[in-house]
Amino acid sequence: MARSVQWFCHRSLNALFTAEAGGKMNNALMVGLTRQMVLRRQMDVTANNIANMSTAGFKVEKLLLRNVSAGPATALGGTSPISFVQDTGVTRRFSDGKIEKTGRALDLALSGPGFFVIETPNGERYTRDGRFAVNDVGIMTTADGMAVLDDGGAQITLDVNSAPPVITKEGSVQVGGLEVARLDIANFENLNSLTKVGEGRFKAPSNAAVLAVEKPVIMQHFLERSNVVAIVEMSRLIETTRAYQSVSNMLSKAETLSQQTIQRLGTVR
Amino acid sequence: MRALNTAATGMLAQQLNVEVIANNIANMNTTAFKRQRAEFQDLLYQTVERQGASSSAAGTIVPTGVQIGLGVKAGSVYRITDQGNLEQTGNKFDVAISGKGYFRIQMPSGEDAYTRAGNFAVNGDGQLSTEDGYTVSPGITLPQDATDVIINQQGQVQALTPGNPAPTVVGQLDIVTFFNEGGLDPQGDNLFLESAASGPANAGTPGSPGFGTIAQGFIETSNVNAVQEITALIAAQRAYEMNSKVITASDEMLSTSANLRR
Repeated sequence: MARSVQWFCHRSLNALFTAEAGGKMNNALMVGLTRQMVLRRQMDVTANNIANMSTAGFKVEKLLLRNVSAGPATALGGTSPISFVQDTGVTRRFSDGKIEKTGRALDLALSGPGFFVIETPNGERYTRDGRFAVNDVGIMTTADGMAVLDDGGAQITLDVNSAPPVITKEGSVQVGGLEVARLDIANFENLNSLTKVGEGRFKAPSNAAVLAVEKPVIMQHFLERSNVVAIVEMSRLIETTRAYQSVSNMLSKAETLSQQTIQRLGTVR
Repeated sequence: MRALNTAATGMLAQQLNVEVIANNIANMNTTAFKRQRAEFQDLLYQTVERQGASSSAAGTIVPTGVQIGLGVKAGSVYRITDQGNLEQTGNKFDVAISGKGYFRIQMPSGEDAYTRAGNFAVNGDGQLSTEDGYTVSPGITLPQDATDVIINQQGQVQALTPGNPAPTVVGQLDIVTFFNEGGLDPQGDNLFLESAASGPANAGTPGSPGFGTIAQGFIETSNVNAVQEITALIAAQRAYEMNSKVITASDEMLSTSANLRR
């Protein structure tokens, strides 16, 4: 059933967005359908925000909507244009999350703009999630073992026989008072051009210029939590459910209307 | 609807979070217990509309695209190897490590295990052993007539015997360090095994550079902070609740759709 609904939506949307479909009797159904499709997607986005409420470095997302205008329903003598709704994008709010003290030496929080640079098998990725660790050969990595890069693009090796490294506000990694590396903190002009790849990591488009952050603010022993605001997400949840219901009500009213029309017109007096 | 599954991943993650917190609280009074922290990562993203795709024949492009996340997963459970408090017990076989390092314990199977819990005792053969009776390696045997035992900061074990005013050295406690302490494989009973993630054990004398010192008559308490754990528990429970609300809301939406046709 889901498939046939999808096919139906596709077909009808394509037909409807080309303003020619104006005048069909089921306009109300089609407008309602576009709204419901968007609301479902809105729900998916909200669910993901809530699920990631305690994911370090997670950035909250929001669905962008736009109005798609079609011509007025001329066949029935209508004058006002019909508007459909479509989702055009997802934006992320890159505001800082709550900074929380953890006391772990390799927990780093970035306050202000920038991303840590991570080496993955698929190329460099960027993250705000500063939960780092040291692997069995002393290389500083993320929780899943991907190396953290320094400003020269090299991996950072720490000495096992020393106290935990001291990481200064500017990102200098110091062991025993000597700088062993300086963390690479990258930034981008258009943050919304970044794609999320999961595991808290972002991928930059190939043509994006990587900007170096001149004066990063790194806090050792702290973590940046997600910037999800629970109350906002919960109210969006309620809003989405209620909006969905009211569209459904509208749809059933439109259906009743056409049913009554058929019955009345069809009655022989 | 994706939202149902997404919320379910959220609930599973918070459940794990509560389990980890529960274990921390349960071990609040376990000698040298290191608290743990569950870490989460966002799952895959499904691209519905790709950014950069052209949105018209005139060559305009979609600036942001639609990417929908599919929830959350447990990334790892970190063991936070901060030093616990040193608590004075007065028992001469209680030794604590102040700084980095683990004691090496000989398991009955012959392999080495590592621990920071230094609440040792002496077994029937006069050997220094853990509370489970596993001997501390390298083996240290105390003379039967020893009247007192002194373990200094460098781990040297000395015994006082009757008729001999100077203490005699009976052994040396070695400690080991690892590249990645968090990667040690926990065995229960406060014991850990070396693993591929921890790196090889690196033995040394207490007090030498990079190694902690020994404190006799002390034990290391757990590094669990009750206030921190309870606040984490509250946050986890609320997050669990909110995820369950998402399931309810998605369910309501589905039922609204289902009731469209009567």
